[in-house]
Amino acid sequence: MKEKENIDELLNSFIDDELTERQQTEVQRLVAHNEQVAQRLKELKKCKILVSSLPFEEAPVGMLEDIKTSLERRTSLSGSPEHFDRRIGARHLLLRRIVSAAAMIALVAVLAAVIYSIVATETVTKEPIVAYGQKPAMLDVKVEKPQPTLATVADKSVPQTTPVEFDCRLELTTNNLFAADAVVSRAIEDNGISAYNIPAKKTDKRIYAVSCSRQKLASLLADLKIVWGRFNSAVFSIETEQEGEYITVDAVATEQIAEIVKQDSLEATIQMAKDFAVLNRLEGLLPHRELALLEDESTTPTAIPKPRLTSSQKTIKKADAQIEDEKNVHLTIVVTGN
Amino acid sequence: MQSKTSMANIDDTVLVELCREGDSAAMERLIVKYQNRIYNTILKICANVDDAAELTQETFVKVIESIDKFEGRSSFYTWAFRIAVNLTLNYCKRNVRLTFKSLDAQNNGSNKQAKKALKEFLTDARSPNPERVLQEKELGELVLKALMKLDDDHRTIIVLRDVEGMNYAHIAQVLNIELGTVKSRLSRARSSLREFLEAVLQ
Repeated sequence: MKEKENIDELLNSFIDDELTERQQTEVQRLVAHNEQVAQRLKELKKCKILVSSLPFEEAPVGMLEDIKTSLERRTSLSGSPEHFDRRIGARHLLLRRIVSAAAMIALVAVLAAVIYSIVATETVTKEPIVAYGQKPAMLDVKVEKPQPTLATVADKSVPQTTPVEFDCRLELTTNNLFAADAVVSRAIEDNGISAYNIPAKKTDKRIYAVSCSRQKLASLLADLKIVWGRFNSAVFSIETEQEGEYITVDAVATEQIAEIVKQDSLEATIQMAKDFAVLNRLEGLLPHRELALLEDESTTPTAIPKPRLTSSQKTIKKADAQIEDEKNVHLTIVVTGN
Repeated sequence: MQSKTSMANIDDTVLVELCREGDSAAMERLIVKYQNRIYNTILKICANVDDAAELTQETFVKVIESIDKFEGRSSFYTWAFRIAVNLTLNYCKRNVRLTFKSLDAQNNGSNKQAKKALKEFLTDARSPNPERVLQEKELGELVLKALMKLDDDHRTIIVLRDVEGMNYAHIAQVLNIELGTVKSRLSRARSSLREFLEAVLQ
């Protein structure tokens, strides 16, 4: 059996022109002296010819335009480089103005100090004349201890970790595409998430490209959790370091997605996705799974608590603004009707 | 910026570099150069025209967005195909049921004439004639059907070799496997294909 496999490998390499000249000569000799090997070579060659003779299909017309449109939309969704340049320019201009103003103030201060030192030495030689009962006027220069500003408080409260950016995909199937489409669109809109619809080739599909922060995603999931049980299936995939390679979690729950995306590093995120993938696969094999699903439907769904403002301080608002700018989760939501 | 006509003969490495600098003509050139080959490969793996178009589009979006991460350890061609194959295999995993549905749909298309042509081709003692296969459209459908019965990994390796015409070294890079694994997997894939083709005739 093993020998047959080895001969097959050799013959295939011969057909594909992957052998050295010496190996080719050996195969030719083998084929000439062994009828069975010659027959096998013919069979394998025919297999190759059948597949390689399949008609070449060209990409649909407009593919280039579709790709460009998709790229433009994604760029505008995650903040275009043009906008980025403009922001940098504005910041640079502001900085220049501040530096100029500071230089002017410093110059005036130096001049004032020089003038004062000349005038003061000539005029103020005695103790200041003070009216009876009055305290001498004193220049009360109070050096204040720098108080922590709201911004610094906010800086301390928000952990300074580099946000991990990643691509993920959520595939939902439903019997009622229009209702599901409406719910997903509404949830996206309600959470103020930047999104756009990717035109799908099939009419039974809706595709949304979403770019947002993890917090916003958690909030979106909390909204979708209410209707989650109505989807026929939910599959979550997250891209690994290898472009285009995904870890797929079948029968995923909103809590699991929230848990996956909240990890600090990409490694931890991927590992969490792998763990849930295994867990859900195992759960799918359990005999009581169908019963568990029925029980789930009867119970009241508990929503993931949305992030709330714990005080009215501006610091929190500032943190929110930072989060809004992060947009480090690129999620494609695909809703397919059955 | 280079004109589109002068872009035609530029090496991929230069096009990638120009693309990184934001040259849209270079980006277009890369897309136009590979879109048909990538689409054809994806289509032969996933067997669905609409999904193949979407996956091709997704591949190029991913390629352009990740072009800064491309380190040049392999060729651009290999890298782009790796992304395309990864996305397609991921699609296949997600759409197992869908694939079976499309296979069932294809069952109805196969007719007696095509089966006869396939039988003649497989049993013909003379050296096989590729022209004949090209002429028989239904024969092609039968082959596609047999191809779709293969495991995703087996189908992919056959498509990369026999449809795209990649050599073993490139296949190893695209699939991120050893050269020895390419040989053994391809050998097993062709054996299985042969068995499925014979089963079609039963």
